[in-house]
Amino acid sequence: MADKIFGYIALAISIGYGFIAFTIIKAPFQYDPLGPETWPQILSVVAALCSLYIIFLPDRIHLKILGSTLRRVVIVVVLLSAYAYLFEPLGFVLATILFCGVMSKMLGASRLEAGLFGVASGVLGYGLCAGLLDLNLPGGALFKALGG
Amino acid sequence: MNEILAGLYQGFGVALDPMNLMYVIIGCFSGTLIGALPGIGPINGVAILLPIAYSAGLPPESALILLAGIYYGAEYGGRISSILLNVPGDAGAVFTTLDGNPMAKRGEAGRALSLSAIASFVGGTIAVVLMTLFGPLLASVAIHFNPSDYVALMIFAFTCLASLVGKNPVKTLLAAVMGLMIASIGIDANTGVARFTFGIPDILAGVDFLVIVIGLFGMGELITLVEQQATGKLQILPVGKSFVSLKDLAVVKWTILRCSLLGFFIGVLPGTGASVASAVAYGTEKRIAGKSGENFGNGDIRGLAAPESANNSSAGGAMVPMLTLGIPGSGTTAILLGALLLFNITPGPLMFTQHSEIAWGLIASMYIGNIALLVINLPLVGFFAKLLTIPQKYLTPLIAVLAFIGVYSVVSNPFDLYMIIGLGVFGWLIRKIGFSLAPVILGVVLGNLFEDNLRRALSISGGDWMILIDSGRSIVIYILTALILFLPPLFSRIKAGIQKPAEAAAR
Repeated sequence: MADKIFGYIALAISIGYGFIAFTIIKAPFQYDPLGPETWPQILSVVAALCSLYIIFLPDRIHLKILGSTLRRVVIVVVLLSAYAYLFEPLGFVLATILFCGVMSKMLGASRLEAGLFGVASGVLGYGLCAGLLDLNLPGGALFKALGG
Repeated sequence: MNEILAGLYQGFGVALDPMNLMYVIIGCFSGTLIGALPGIGPINGVAILLPIAYSAGLPPESALILLAGIYYGAEYGGRISSILLNVPGDAGAVFTTLDGNPMAKRGEAGRALSLSAIASFVGGTIAVVLMTLFGPLLASVAIHFNPSDYVALMIFAFTCLASLVGKNPVKTLLAAVMGLMIASIGIDANTGVARFTFGIPDILAGVDFLVIVIGLFGMGELITLVEQQATGKLQILPVGKSFVSLKDLAVVKWTILRCSLLGFFIGVLPGTGASVASAVAYGTEKRIAGKSGENFGNGDIRGLAAPESANNSSAGGAMVPMLTLGIPGSGTTAILLGALLLFNITPGPLMFTQHSEIAWGLIASMYIGNIALLVINLPLVGFFAKLLTIPQKYLTPLIAVLAFIGVYSVVSNPFDLYMIIGLGVFGWLIRKIGFSLAPVILGVVLGNLFEDNLRRALSISGGDWMILIDSGRSIVIYILTALILFLPPLFSRIKAGIQKPAEAAAR
């Protein structure tokens, strides 16, 4: 069943992709016989054929996603999005402390462990990556406050 | 031959540079570490650490040496979690669990670990030696390839992928085509026409390769880890004091040799890496062992040595087509190839002449790396075993942090942070319904090369498609493609045909 649904989604994508390839993409002038549209056209046909095969001859798989598992996955995605949202404004250190703390708490760490782990990964991570390796990480609110 | 010796001389000059030597050892060490962590394999490790290596400002040869060290180091380290935990880090390590874990259960974990370390070392070393011999040779042939030969090679690569990787060839093909479709997003370099960008300026230059890799392999893995987290506590078996004996080595020496050669050639085939190599090696050895092979699966040392030597030699083999043709031999080498492209180096037949310091430096570093791995692994195996006890509750958030650092430090665009989360969910979902992700990444990496060569070939012929089967070389490649497509099903049918009467006779 899951296979079939995915097959339909893939078919829809390949039809959409093919539609654009066959109608919209056109070069105003071109030097090679194929132009920019032929390759996507070929791809869309192959993808559509594969999707049709999957729709008509699906594998039997039981997609076992338990309710509790699904909930945890959703929570993780929300946490990750929050981390992405706060990454620049709060800065790496604060955002990481929050994210690692909350996430490890959710995965079963005690409150103290989660707090220590969060602070350690935020501070050490920044020291190691921004200090030692000279990577570009957002300083954010913390450093603005410190710098005045 | 002189050319090879001169190349090796230059390569060791590069690899023995103190900084590069340090990167070899760091790469091998952290590779072993990553491989040993349960659930994380070479491809995830290289994917997560690639952007950090890139933005730390290393010169290309050092970055490649480091990443390659992580790659074969992780193939090495994967056996630790397979043997002690019965949790393979990736598909390539599954066959190590079959005989490795029963040995550990018998209290022979030390013996299993040291034996597999030696098997890995021999496999890795044989692969590098073969790479030294065949790499330049293949490059000198490939230098004469014209665009239509390349098109044939691509078709060969995708056929190998579809018929050898994964359970369902159509799904693998669809995954690869999806990768090709992703690669077609952005401005077409020949005409300047924007394709599939929907007016979003962030993807005019194409979807960033790093974002795809980190999303699919870093974030996707993280979600998988979270999903599996509740499924009971893992039992770590003690390493113990047992050690491999000379008698053991005498028993497995031919197994190791055969499987190393087998692994190398499977690695060379485009797209097929450690997972196919270890599966074929295990199956072959079991068949060769015949009657004495009944113990396979219950802790037979041959059953342990076979997949371990094969998966390490396939890692070396997979680098050969990457360096000489620009076509990666496995999912992980596809990421390494993407890394080279980030440095504006296009791997291909000219690699050995134009960027010989990279090609030969990498090869030389692999000689050193294999020795370093053996030295690291024999005495320190207890230390790596301790790492298995790193609780998931700390490991999982750290993967996310590393992925975020990687993407942000390269692209500095918060939009991409959401992209990797979305790609992670997508990767997790399609893995759940039986797709593998390696074909997607191969498609992404090969997309432009495939299209460019097709268009170039048709430009030469003025639009006549017959040019694709014009040269002798491309016809040979198409014949090979047909063999790859039709031989495996034929073999399994013959095998089934032999087995049925045998079973009937047994009754």
